Parts: sequence; C-alpha cells; structure tokens
Amino acid sequence: MAIFSMTRPELRKKIALQGIAFIIVGAAFIFLWNTLKKTQAANIQTPSSSRISGTLPSLLSDLNLILPISLLAVLFGVAFAFYLEEWLPTTSKVRSFIESQVAFFVEIPSLLYGLLAITVLFSYADVSKEIGTPPIQNINEAGLAAIPLQHNIAMFYAETLVFIFMVIPVAIKTTQEALRSVATPIRESAYVLGANHWQVLANRVVPLALPRILAGGCRAISRSLAVAALLIGVHIPGTRGIPDRFMLFLGGALLLSTISSFLIEIYVPATARHG
Amino acid sequence: MNSQTTPTNYSIETENLSLWYGDFQALIDVNVKIPDGQITSLIGPSGCGKTTLLRCFNRVNERYGNVTTKGKIEILGKNIYDADVSLPELRKSVGMVFQRPNPLPISVYDNILFGLRIHSPVRSITQAESDQIVEEALTSVFLWEDLKDKLKVRATSLQLEQQQKLCIARLLPLKPRIILMDEPCSALDTKGTFAVEELMEVLAGTYTFLIVTHNMAQARRVSKECIYMFLGELIEHGETQALFETPQHPKTADYVQMRYG
Repeated sequence: MAIFSMTRPELRKKIALQGIAFIIVGAAFIFLWNTLKKTQAANIQTPSSSRISGTLPSLLSDLNLILPISLLAVLFGVAFAFYLEEWLPTTSKVRSFIESQVAFFVEIPSLLYGLLAITVLFSYADVSKEIGTPPIQNINEAGLAAIPLQHNIAMFYAETLVFIFMVIPVAIKTTQEALRSVATPIRESAYVLGANHWQVLANRVVPLALPRILAGGCRAISRSLAVAALLIGVHIPGTRGIPDRFMLFLGGALLLSTISSFLIEIYVPATARHG
Repeated sequence: MNSQTTPTNYSIETENLSLWYGDFQALIDVNVKIPDGQITSLIGPSGCGKTTLLRCFNRVNERYGNVTTKGKIEILGKNIYDADVSLPELRKSVGMVFQRPNPLPISVYDNILFGLRIHSPVRSITQAESDQIVEEALTSVFLWEDLKDKLKVRATSLQLEQQQKLCIARLLPLKPRIILMDEPCSALDTKGTFAVEELMEVLAGTYTFLIVTHNMAQARRVSKECIYMFLGELIEHGETQALFETPQHPKTADYVQMRYG
C-alpha cells in the first residue's frame, strides 16, 4: 500500500465524525428554534398603560423580539453561505438558482418587508385586530395586556418569516463575498501543504474573512432593526410614543450601518494588504 | 527507492491521461514517465496544458467543479485516482511551488511549521523540535543566515526571492518525494532566478523536481530531461540536450529554434 492511501479504520472514523457533527448541528438548531418559540411567544405583550409606555421598555421589548430571531437568521445565513461557496460546485444548478433568489431578496427595500408583514401576514394571522383593541379584563398588574397564546404563536411565525426573508439573504450575500475575497493563492498554498478542507477554512479562510462576515451580520441585523420601526407600530397602536420610537429605531439602524461600514474600512484593507 | 512496485525508478507515470474543463479538452492522451531524483522540465507555448498536467499530479485541479479526468496517474507506484487515496497524504508527498510566491500571511516561523502542524496531533511537536525543524528547513534553502533574526517577521513582507525560497523551505519538513514547480522564477529577477536554480540543483538528488517554464534557457540550464507540449498533446520527451539540439519532431524544432508563432 502506497504511503498516501487512507486505511479503512481512518475512513470509518472520518464518516463517523461527520455523522456525529451533522447530528449535533441539527439538534442545536432544533433546540434553539424551540426555545425561541417558547420564550418569544410568552414575551409578546403589548403595553397598554401609560405607566410603562416610555422609550426604554419598548426599546427593550422590541430588541428582545428582534435580536434573537435576527441572530439565529444570521447564523443560519452564514452557515448556508459557507455551504454554497465552499461545498457546492460553481456549475451546480441549485447554487445558481439560490444565488439569483438571494440577489432578488437583497435588493428589496426593508420597508416593503414591513408592509408585507403588516398587510399580508398579520391580517392572515388575524392578530392585528386583537392587538388593536386589547380586552380590558386581560390587563395584568404590570400594565401589560396578555394576548391569547395561539395568537402569539401565529404572530411569532409571521414575524419570523419576515425576518428570515429579510435577514438571511443579506447574511448569505455578504458572507459569500467575504469568502470570495480570500485570494485563491492563499487557499491553494494551504491545500498543497496537505491541509484538508476544514483546516483550510479554519486556519486560513475564516481569519481573513471574519471582519467582512461580522460586518455583513451587522448589516443584516441593522436591516431587521429598520423594519422593526414599522412593526412597533403594529405592536403598540394607540400609544403616544410611536414617532419617537420610529426615529429611535431608524437612528439605531443608521448607527449600526455606520458601525458596519467602519468595520469594513478599518479591518478589511489591513488584512487584504497581506492577502 | 521505489523498486518494489515499479521495475524502473519512475516517480510519476501516466497512461492515456485526458482532462476536460467542461467541454474543452485540455490534455489529450498524455503518456509520460518521469524519472526519480532529477529535474524534468515542461516547455511549450501558453495554454498548451503544461500547468494543467502539473496540477493533475497532486489533484489540485479537482477543486474546480467542471474538471473531468480520464486515464491513470501512478505516483510512486500508486494510482492516485484510487478510492482509498487520501488527498492530504498525497499532497504531503507531492509538494508544489507556485508562479507567484504565496507564503501564508503569518510569520516565517509559522509558515515553515504550518504543514507539519496540520499533519500532527495538537502539541505533539515540542518547542526545541520545532526550532530545529525551522533551522534545518531554512538552512537547506540557504535562508538561515538572512532570516535567523527575522523568524517572527510576517512572511509576506520579505523580498520576493526570499519568499519563493521560503515556499520551497516550507515543503521540506513534510519530507515530500516530488516537488512540482509552476514557473517558479517568472516573478523573480536574474539574481533570484539564479539562486532558486542553484537551490534546485542542490536538492535534486533528494527530491524529484518537475518544473514548468517559459524560459528556454532555464530549461536548458537546470533540467536533465525535457518535455515539449503543444495544444494538450505531449509531442516530445527526451534528454534536454538532445531535445534542444536534435529535435525529433518538426513542431519541437519550430519551438526550440524560436520559429514558433
């Protein structure tokens, strides 16, 4: 047997490791999803009393709603982009189809997603009417109107769908671009030294692409924050602070976009110089 | 060296090797035997499949999805397209140096240890061992005197000539048998070219070199055997001096006497 052939136990070990990794990742995603669903559905409550309708509580409650879903979506988008870019061959039909869809979704202004959420998904879930007139008897001591649980879950699905369509394409697109920005000679120099695909990714590609991937994730989340401004309007109709909150969230989105572009400016040229 | 598996000492043997990029056939029925322990050069006009042939030998070509390969390549007596071949191990035995020096954007020290580290378990190499490995590798490419105080310097900030030598040095700790070189001197000046050629001659006994070059004078200077390729076909393979002075094939004659094109 030649010096570079792989023995049967090694092959078996490799296959077993891949299987275990697949199961762990799958289980982690399902667990995250279920936890999110449970906690979120319980947390969607509308402040109906003036006691808590300040800027801070609504800011926190909306961040609580948006950030976990967005983070999960970004995580999923980044993972999916790695699969597209690193494992699917360039000639693959699936890849070109997904890339064209992603390009389409990225170009849609986030405002339209908000309108979509309000007009289509929310009316379909028949939640907006309920929120519009919270029954008085349901108000609890904290001044929060509890919405019936099945409506919460419907709303959670509606919001999640919108966020997923909005955040995942941006995360996929920016991550793909970040991975492409790592020059081929760097990858090949690691390959010809005998590194396997994972080692090339972990040792060479990810460290160089990380700033861009992070900036892309930042961009994706800021996009979801921008649409959150509209969703706040749905959540808390009839309270006085809406324009303030709208401005606040637009400001937050703007800030995050600025930070992400700064990240690109500061870190990317520095690594690209040595790439 | 490899006499158990093949009667003569050939490092690389191909049988009817054909390769397609999509619909375009880049290699047409290449049959070649590359002898062990000496320098063989590949010459020919641009786009005639020299680099493609070279990149077949460590299967780097396969990274692109649209490549189809047919035929057989035996390296050190083993068909590298067999199912049980492990690519990392193959690439450990068959090193490669590129046209443009491409050291990794880490320190000189880490560059040399990179290959070794990915092939050995975590923390299995002690500090003393790694110091020694780095010194040996740099000494054998004549860089130790220049770089012994600069081991922590980022490798991409060195001179091009030093970078290219470093790219050769980082292969050595893996103890490869064959080193493939894809126009290793085209980015270097005369002095750098001379230094790399000198290095190849010193190392030639230990390693088998296969070098793609556009520089005919270089092919003549360094290589013992020479292969002329034209439009994906292997036209002529023979002793360098014979191929340059008394070429058997009219196409080879046209090329080596600069009447081509």
